[in-house]
Amino acid sequence: MAAGALSIKLRCASWQQLATIYYRDLSRGTMFLKASNPPAIGTSVRIDLTLPSSSVIVLTGTVHQHVNDTQRGAGVELKLAPIPTGSVWMIESALASEARRESGAPAEPLKTGPVPTVTEGAEISEAETELIRALTAEAESMKKLNPFLVLGVSYEVTDGEVRAAFGELTKKYHPDRFARYESTQLRSVAAEIFILIRDAYRKLGDAAGRTQALTALNKGGPDRIVPARAATANPVMQQQQRRTPPQGVPALSGAIPRATTDAKGPMTGAIPRAATDVKGPAVTGAIPRAATDVKGPAVTGAIPRAATDVKSGPIRALAATVAQPPQRPDPHEAGTVRKPPEPALLESKPGPTIPIKQTGAIPAHVHEAGTVRKPDPTATPPPMPIQPGDTAAVDELIDAGKFEDALVAFRMLAKKHPNERVYRAGIELAEGLKAMAVRDRLEAAQRFEAALEIDPSNERAARELAEMRRQATNERKGLLSRLMGKKE
Amino acid sequence: MSRIIGIDLGTTNSCVAVLDDKGTPKTLAAGDGERTIPSWVAWAPDGRIVVGQRARRQAVTNPAATIYGTKRLIGRKVNADDVSWFARLAPFRIVAAPNGDAWVRVHGQPISPQEVAAHILRAIRKTAEEALGEPVTRCVVTVPAYFDDAQRQATRDAGQIAGLDVIRILNEPTAAALAYGAHRVREGRRIIAVFDLGGGTFDISLMSVENGIFEVLATGGDTALGGEDWDRRILERIVDEVFDQHRVDLTTIPMAMSRLREACETAKKALSVDRETKVALPFLANDQHGAPINYERTLTREFLEQLTKDLLDRLEAPCVRALADAGLDPASAEIEEVLLVGGMTRWPAVQDVVERIFKRKPSKGANPDEVVALGAAAYAGILGGESDDAQLLDVTPHDIGIKVGDSGFALVVPRNSMLPVRARRLFATTSDDQKFVSIELYQGGEDKEVSKMRKLGQVVLDDLPKGPAGTVRVELVMTVDVEGILSVTAREIKTGKEASVTIRPSGGLSQREIVEIITRRRTESSHVGLLPGGAVRVTTREHMVAKPDEDS
Repeated sequence: MAAGALSIKLRCASWQQLATIYYRDLSRGTMFLKASNPPAIGTSVRIDLTLPSSSVIVLTGTVHQHVNDTQRGAGVELKLAPIPTGSVWMIESALASEARRESGAPAEPLKTGPVPTVTEGAEISEAETELIRALTAEAESMKKLNPFLVLGVSYEVTDGEVRAAFGELTKKYHPDRFARYESTQLRSVAAEIFILIRDAYRKLGDAAGRTQALTALNKGGPDRIVPARAATANPVMQQQQRRTPPQGVPALSGAIPRATTDAKGPMTGAIPRAATDVKGPAVTGAIPRAATDVKGPAVTGAIPRAATDVKSGPIRALAATVAQPPQRPDPHEAGTVRKPPEPALLESKPGPTIPIKQTGAIPAHVHEAGTVRKPDPTATPPPMPIQPGDTAAVDELIDAGKFEDALVAFRMLAKKHPNERVYRAGIELAEGLKAMAVRDRLEAAQRFEAALEIDPSNERAARELAEMRRQATNERKGLLSRLMGKKE
Repeated sequence: MSRIIGIDLGTTNSCVAVLDDKGTPKTLAAGDGERTIPSWVAWAPDGRIVVGQRARRQAVTNPAATIYGTKRLIGRKVNADDVSWFARLAPFRIVAAPNGDAWVRVHGQPISPQEVAAHILRAIRKTAEEALGEPVTRCVVTVPAYFDDAQRQATRDAGQIAGLDVIRILNEPTAAALAYGAHRVREGRRIIAVFDLGGGTFDISLMSVENGIFEVLATGGDTALGGEDWDRRILERIVDEVFDQHRVDLTTIPMAMSRLREACETAKKALSVDRETKVALPFLANDQHGAPINYERTLTREFLEQLTKDLLDRLEAPCVRALADAGLDPASAEIEEVLLVGGMTRWPAVQDVVERIFKRKPSKGANPDEVVALGAAAYAGILGGESDDAQLLDVTPHDIGIKVGDSGFALVVPRNSMLPVRARRLFATTSDDQKFVSIELYQGGEDKEVSKMRKLGQVVLDDLPKGPAGTVRVELVMTVDVEGILSVTAREIKTGKEASVTIRPSGGLSQREIVEIITRRRTESSHVGLLPGGAVRVTTREHMVAKPDEDS
């Protein structure tokens, strides 16, 4: 027996890991070891368990049975000889003191912790890391999509189609779909993606919401919510501003400030949703109540005051919406058709000073006005003339798969209008699509990213990038599932 | 190999289910063939701990050391209204732990409800292991949707004490809907209401089901309303009658109370079916002269309905609120089905109330005692990657917000937000050159007063840049994950300085205390008197759930 004894060294990198092993296995006198080639039943095993504190505890046992754990994979279950009380005491007290040390944030609930592994483990954890990376990249590219693109639906979608698309994505990205993996990070990245999906679903779930979302997109102006982290990046804002169709703004700017000053507050009418959408980092939708709040005597200095919309703000706050290329929906037509909701959307732009003075007590508003004011000068001079015809023609080339022709066209246009980002982005897009066609995914991804950097509103590039990322995720998932011996 | 079991840890009865090899959830029976285990734990005079039916059977002779209704205490403070009510009539002692939590006292020893629940879970685990013939370490446990995070965490802790890795806490109504609707994937969207009135808790959930996506639209309820309240009304009545006739206070006689409690529950069950029933309790106690009191009385259903009219009224408000939250009008026939869960929904008057509120006859097809465990098992399969035909989308049961001013509440995450969720709000300083902001996080409730709400935690952001009041702005970002765990980040806009906190819900026991309990158990080597192992009987969902929707 002793001759066939197996000696294994195990190292617990963290107390958390030890706690998991201890509560799940050791305290029951058993232990699970992953093994692709399990030793025979009855083989005696000696395990040197190194604690995070570097002390070593020696466990002895025998292979009790071969198991094929649904979560942990194939392996053996050891029956352990009673652990010397000294060792138990050592583990218990170490864990207890560790829990004390971390109190305030006591040890993670003992979930599916890492499993010690004889072999294979490294491969799986590597595959998990890969999947995390793929998902993170996908989350990043999804943040650049407008809600329609997040769900992958058309702009004339129905309620049922929205739900169906949401359902499909939910089955793919809900954090619970990743519960079987060991990495908790996987779940949190999935949650990031799922939050984008749910927010898009919340926005587009009904006709009214879709109209508002469309209005916000078509206007192409201040609706371009920049993720809060990027809120300081003014260049982005400026360039967005310039994109505003020149026709709509001046026409409205005359009428709107009046309306807003007369009205009880920025959120006149029943358009709270659109209002939040408009105001840059979505949180800054101010509500009238907040104004009175802030004016009231500050009783305690340390108390923060509510200055934002309660209902509509938070829910959709995260969605990082990137506007449409202006050529898609006809801005002229959109402008006239969707005029009614516009006042609330635009009020802050034409006359930023009025709302500021009027609502000077609302700090949130100051912020909002501040971000708007800066780009304003660039908006007033006639923004570069977008010739919808031109891009539309090139878009047709792209849609027809003639990337080379589109590339040439974009290059020509870019030469003619060297300041026009749309065309320079178009060049990158066409290059990217060309690369895709020859399966050079790395090159393609870089080109799409470049296109988005030049023109964040380039929908096609955003979509292609998101699609690529999704495929990458799927591949990683597949690999991981195979490693774990599972059907996908 | 090790399968994840689904556990319905109920107020009066618990149930365990698992996916069979074909991927169908089935409940597991203990050796005696019972598919539900009474949620009772007793410390027998010989020091043994007995659980389930056996604990229940010896309750009459050992009332002070027989604990039931733990679910009403777990994660609760002893001074909560319904806890004190429960304590008044319970034959065992309910005491306050140093942190104000409700604990029980057995043989002079204070014991946390988590530990009592752990005994039940351990018995369940053993049942499952015997039935499956393999070790069980992981489980999904259900709780009422309306449980707050302290109650959820306490339930989780109970699992840990029992040596079970609780991989997910699942809401009971959602689990029920999953068991009920998962196998009938039809085209189109259906809206169903799950009306769950169990032994001690009431939940109403409105959800839409489409292509395997179970989306909770709104949920509401009352964590302190259930079948035991009906029993208690009969019991109180009898206690009063005996006192009026004999001047004897039965509440001081634990054994009499135990018998009475049994009799009341039996009577209620009988009245669910029959119009009248007889309560006969010979030699219930001795009167002042030492003569035996032989209590006997006929109860009618009408009489009990009168006694419990106000309980029925309490069912209505949460339903109305949930309907409003979901934007549903019961008159519009959008709700296709009302699913009854929980033993108390057998009570005819309850069914009438449901019919009145939702304007349609509720479905009684499911076996209300087992459907929750079946759903938990089904979801365990999904979490384990064994099946992926369904996905649950739950919501936050309570508003989450912060304190503004002296007692104002600023909502950040509204109740019934689909999880996971992230919400942001912007706040501003209220005095010039304010040094720091201290943001207190609260869980909203019926009451608008912050002082009456439960405080979840606090995040402090200091070193704010100087500036006049209102110019320094702080963005607050709240994220609630799928398990309802809240993390909060506060960030000053200009400097980008951040402070964040993750609210780890506390169930009342620290990790250290839990470790201590586990260690103590190891050394005590207590015997859990379970029913002897034996043949395994299983029920599949097909047996249990009639198919009422064939013709609908």
